[in-house]
Amino acid sequence: MSLLPNLFRFISFLLLLLYAFPVSAEHTSNWAVLVSTSRFWFNYRHLANVLSLYRTVKRLGIPDSQIILMLPDDMACNPRNAFPGTVYSNADRAVDLYGDNIEVDYRGYEVTVENFIRLLTDRLDEDVPRSKRLGSDSGSNVLVYMTGHGGDQFLKFQDSEEIGAWDLADAFGQMWEKKRYHELLFMIDTCQANTMYTHFYSPNIVATGSSALDQSSYSHHADTDVGVAVIDRWTYYVLEFLETQVTSANSKLTLGDLFNSYDESKIHSQPGVRWDLFPGGEEEGRLRTVVDFFGNVQNVEIENANATEPGSLKEDLAELAQLVEKWRKQEGYHAIRNDIPVRNESDVSSYPDTEVDPRYYSRKRSKGPTKMTDESSWQKRFVGVSVVAACAAVWLTGSILAGS
Amino acid sequence: MPVDRRKALVFGAALALRLVLLLLFPSLPDLLTGRVEVSTPVNSFKRLQEGLFLYTRNISPYDGGVFHQAPILLPLFSLLPNSRDFPLPTAVFYSLIDLVNANALITISDSGQSVSSRLYSALRKDIRWDGASIAAWFLFNPFTIATCLGRPTSVLTTSGILYAVSNAVCGNSFNAMLALGFASYLSIYPALLFIPLVILCYDIQVQKAKTPSSATLFALKHFGILLASVAGLLGISALIIGDFGEFVSATYGFQLLVPDLTPNIGLWWYFFIEIFDSFREFFLGVFWLHLAGYVGGLTVRLRQQPLFIITSLLAFSPSSSHTRLMTAVMRYTFFASSALLYATLLGPAFYHLWIYAGSGNANFFYAITLVWSLGLSILLADTIFAALREEWELENPEMRGKDVRQV
Amino acid sequence: MSSKPEGLESSNISCNDAPAMSSETVQRPPPPEKPAAILTRTKVIAAFWAVIIFLGFPIWWQTTSIHRARLPIQEMVNWASGKTCRPVFPLEIQFATPSLPVSDAQHLLRTTQHTLDDLNEFSAHHLRLKLLESSNIESNSPDGLRSITEDNADTVLSVRLIAQEDLTAPRSVLHSETTQLDVFYPPSQVPVPSSSNSPLSAFIAEELQRLFGEEKATIAHVLSNNNGADHQPAAVLNSLPPQIAETINKRERRSMKYAETYHLAFSLFTPGSAPSSWDIEAAIQEYLTPLLQAFSPISNFTVDTQVQLYAMFSPMTPQPEYDESQAAWTLKKEDLSAFINAAEWPLSPSIGSGPTINFILYVPAPSQSPMVVKENHATSWIIPQWGGVFLLNAPLSTSQPSNPSHLSKESLQSAFLTFSHQLLTLMGTPATPTSLPLRLQTLIRIRAASLLLSASSTMGSLARLTKSLPSIPIPASVATSVSTTLSHLSSACDQLREGRFAAALASARVAETEAERSFFEKSMVGQVYFPDEHKVAVYLPLLGPIGVPLAVGLLKELKRIIAGWKSRRSSP
Repeated sequence: MSLLPNLFRFISFLLLLLYAFPVSAEHTSNWAVLVSTSRFWFNYRHLANVLSLYRTVKRLGIPDSQIILMLPDDMACNPRNAFPGTVYSNADRAVDLYGDNIEVDYRGYEVTVENFIRLLTDRLDEDVPRSKRLGSDSGSNVLVYMTGHGGDQFLKFQDSEEIGAWDLADAFGQMWEKKRYHELLFMIDTCQANTMYTHFYSPNIVATGSSALDQSSYSHHADTDVGVAVIDRWTYYVLEFLETQVTSANSKLTLGDLFNSYDESKIHSQPGVRWDLFPGGEEEGRLRTVVDFFGNVQNVEIENANATEPGSLKEDLAELAQLVEKWRKQEGYHAIRNDIPVRNESDVSSYPDTEVDPRYYSRKRSKGPTKMTDESSWQKRFVGVSVVAACAAVWLTGSILAGS
Repeated sequence: MPVDRRKALVFGAALALRLVLLLLFPSLPDLLTGRVEVSTPVNSFKRLQEGLFLYTRNISPYDGGVFHQAPILLPLFSLLPNSRDFPLPTAVFYSLIDLVNANALITISDSGQSVSSRLYSALRKDIRWDGASIAAWFLFNPFTIATCLGRPTSVLTTSGILYAVSNAVCGNSFNAMLALGFASYLSIYPALLFIPLVILCYDIQVQKAKTPSSATLFALKHFGILLASVAGLLGISALIIGDFGEFVSATYGFQLLVPDLTPNIGLWWYFFIEIFDSFREFFLGVFWLHLAGYVGGLTVRLRQQPLFIITSLLAFSPSSSHTRLMTAVMRYTFFASSALLYATLLGPAFYHLWIYAGSGNANFFYAITLVWSLGLSILLADTIFAALREEWELENPEMRGKDVRQV
Repeated sequence: MSSKPEGLESSNISCNDAPAMSSETVQRPPPPEKPAAILTRTKVIAAFWAVIIFLGFPIWWQTTSIHRARLPIQEMVNWASGKTCRPVFPLEIQFATPSLPVSDAQHLLRTTQHTLDDLNEFSAHHLRLKLLESSNIESNSPDGLRSITEDNADTVLSVRLIAQEDLTAPRSVLHSETTQLDVFYPPSQVPVPSSSNSPLSAFIAEELQRLFGEEKATIAHVLSNNNGADHQPAAVLNSLPPQIAETINKRERRSMKYAETYHLAFSLFTPGSAPSSWDIEAAIQEYLTPLLQAFSPISNFTVDTQVQLYAMFSPMTPQPEYDESQAAWTLKKEDLSAFINAAEWPLSPSIGSGPTINFILYVPAPSQSPMVVKENHATSWIIPQWGGVFLLNAPLSTSQPSNPSHLSKESLQSAFLTFSHQLLTLMGTPATPTSLPLRLQTLIRIRAASLLLSASSTMGSLARLTKSLPSIPIPASVATSVSTTLSHLSSACDQLREGRFAAALASARVAETEAERSFFEKSMVGQVYFPDEHKVAVYLPLLGPIGVPLAVGLLKELKRIIAGWKSRRSSP
């Protein structure tokens, strides 16, 4: 044994100690959570904000199944909407944000603080469909965008609730604990928005907001025909950057570029950015591309029909063909031992060797369907008559007893 | 007898009015059945129909979580033909129940217990209404008519309570307990009336029989009767449904824990929508305690007027479906009546704004229910105040007719 | 909110019977109270307070306390930090040496084992050689599918040593359909008892190292993700050639996240009206069931199928172009990610509770057939963590170009074998060695390791969560799940140590499911932050109006009693 490899190993070991928690820049999927928190017609702009963002992330490649859209009201179908079925975020009304492909995951009164926190922490009923769940994992970059009416360290939800900065921080903390994101970009457009991210404590978060403490976030402009303001300033300029500069899913523009585009004279408030939770801080965070959060991982692996290395299509096909061949020979044998039908509804009892607690699987036992019989009214009426008779008899007895 | 003729006239007119309304506006019952002002999740006729449908087809009526009423109603209502195809029999049935209730009221009123009981005799005996007027007041009350057409099953609870009281004032304490047992079986809270009712029965018994038995023994005996009647009804229910635990959790569990927050003119639904979830159980406890808490205090204070305690306690029922009963027995004041009128008119409008037009929110309707309960509370406070003043004047005859000021 | 009027009413009760009514016109002292009235008032106040004390306070205590079941925090943290269990993977390899005397065979094994141990720098993953008694050879058929369910330590590989005269150097053949390795050697290379190593044992050791090299690297990769005290896996990982590390990384990015149940959705899409039917049931039974059967220790699968006619590309997608040189319609590689019209094709992600793996069989329109990928003429591709696509260029009928209306089982063969391959890839099956049973067994070990670690780390997360958020409730079901998890974790760890990998995976699966269940318990969402001013806002509006008259009444009553008591004391 020579000394050199050992020494090398030792050095690499030391290096490893230095980077005890290596963070790779790679992520494997993208998720977006887009939330508007206010109802009613005069808050048109908040829904338009969210729908504009929704349109942008979809354009940059995040599929609907990975976007959670929370809209507490339906502006397109509001009776006051002069352009029914549409939502615009600009007075030129060039782009109908409502289009024909909007998948709203939480709508109306489903948009509550509780549901939002449950969504982030995935503490949902088993029967909540996957379209309403945030299925992110340790490789997911998550974009969380919120807009509504807020104040110092809170954001109002609908009429009666508010989410505190602490609750939000704890929700993100739990997400990090359960490795539900790889990196997270938090954006918020509301009054005193920057106070909302002051309590965050989990790593790998970049947070940005529209206005500092004691500052209002203003709307950008109103559409006189729609009759209300259609978009907020900060969101407007963020979108302007995204729409004019980030034109394709392969854009190399960075978060630094996005944040540099903030112009306080236009936004009329001081947008803030928080870097300290991000490993490497500002320098590292600024290098993340915009599409790291607003786009989707776009890789498709084409299978080369001619490659012959292990694990390639050709090799696998040969092995699979053998498996199929062997199966065909042993089919009778296996069919007796373990018959798996085509629609194999996960039958767990088919592993002979698993030491599985039977209680564990019987927990979800449900009653089978009940058979409905024909109306048997005579029988039921007989029961009814006898019940009435019994009650009347007792009553009469009571009366007679009292009378005597 | 002239009174009897008047009574027959009132009854006949009331029945005719109900049937005429039904014939002139055939859609009125279904409209009212769907109104939140009339029906709540625990007494809705629609839900009863769902339960009946399942019941007659040999499926547990509580499957699907729609029906939450006592199982004994099912064989009872299965005797009536389907109310969708033949609305008349059901309407007649409900009208008859109204008449029966009015009859009980007449009995109560004619017994004179409200003005002169064993320990108490009112000063204003002479300004008492006779039975027929009270029956007319009850039967032609628009709230009563709306309820009759809306067909909530809580009218049966009302009958139970009224008959408990009417039998008690007649001295038939056994039947009083049976009726109270029936009412408590249908909806739990009438059981709260047990203490004042027993006191009433005891007073009557003492008045009638000159040899009073021991009060404790009397109370225990009647408590036994109450328990037996409730147990008997529960037994019948178990026979009807088969699964005892299922129906108890679907009916009483539902009433106690209030999981369905469908708006009604009571106040609980809004409170439980708005309350932080972690405090829900606590406030559930507080509300029920609130109901129960008055029994002791009122009973002690108004020991001499047990009938009055019963009427006061009815006011605390959770869905305020007893409004009509109270209005039958009490006197209006201008403010309370205008509050009630205001709520009656604006309630449906605000409900529409909230649920259908989407231009209002829950607070609109809730504000109306607040006004409504405010009206009722003023009414109640006023009557208690009147009762107390009456008592006080009895003790201090020199103060009669003078203005009083509460300090 | 019903409080206000009723509170007012209760104040009526407690005030009216006080000597409080005085005429407004004539100021004179109120008449004295009768002792009976005083007694009644005392009783009324006592009645209310009795209800409050005997019912109100217990209810308040009972309903507002946060139920927190006791969790074995320290144990959970120990699991998460890797102190409780250090997963080891002793791989048992059986040697059949029909042509060697037992003593020679044992010596060969000993030297080979020695060489192996010298070569291996990753102690958690090691090979154990075992000589098979010749009588057992026949009975123990080297069937990979079956041996994993037997109760003793799983035999990972059977090696058969066969002497062959005309060889100069040993060579080996891996049977690709079983877990058997044949080693042919020249008889001259059998080590003599005196020598400590021989070319044959070196060859076998190297061969075995090579076979399990990828597995070792993958397991080291999995273990290195655990931020425990053990740095060996990471060191092993660092010493690997970068391309292997890259392969492992790539596989991890590509493969689906573990789930108890996967839904396989096979969809036939075609832009026209044909083919409108396919022999799907038979095809799945024939081509897919063997693989699903082989996967059954790892996960459960359900299969759904659909046929969608007139399925158009999204208008944004670049259309395929005709390439004269290939005589085919071609899709550019960079456009493939937009091939699926996610907006219109009904590929619902919402079947049941597990993730869906989509397999799309696309039959191009006759006018665009055949369709291939421009760059390498391929007809299938994998979309990482999502599924796979296969372009089936059906044979067109000659007279008038149209697709067949029915796809027979045989025409689906290539597609379904490709889907099987894609499924293998998406499940994260390693590429080597070139025997499918061996690869699946490797996958079992990798899954067992990763589930063990993920369940342990969930335990750690839950423990930290419990400590850091004291205001969330912890229901009893969480405690039950935690104890189930911990017991299954420790049995999984023991089974790994004994080399019973299938059993270990089964335990680890239960542990993982229960750990997830405990962490994602629905009722553990409390109002995490609840400041005291909120509490005032909760209690005051209702309880204030009720409480104040009651409290004042009680105070007055107490004052009166004390006063009476004092006066009695002073004037006996």
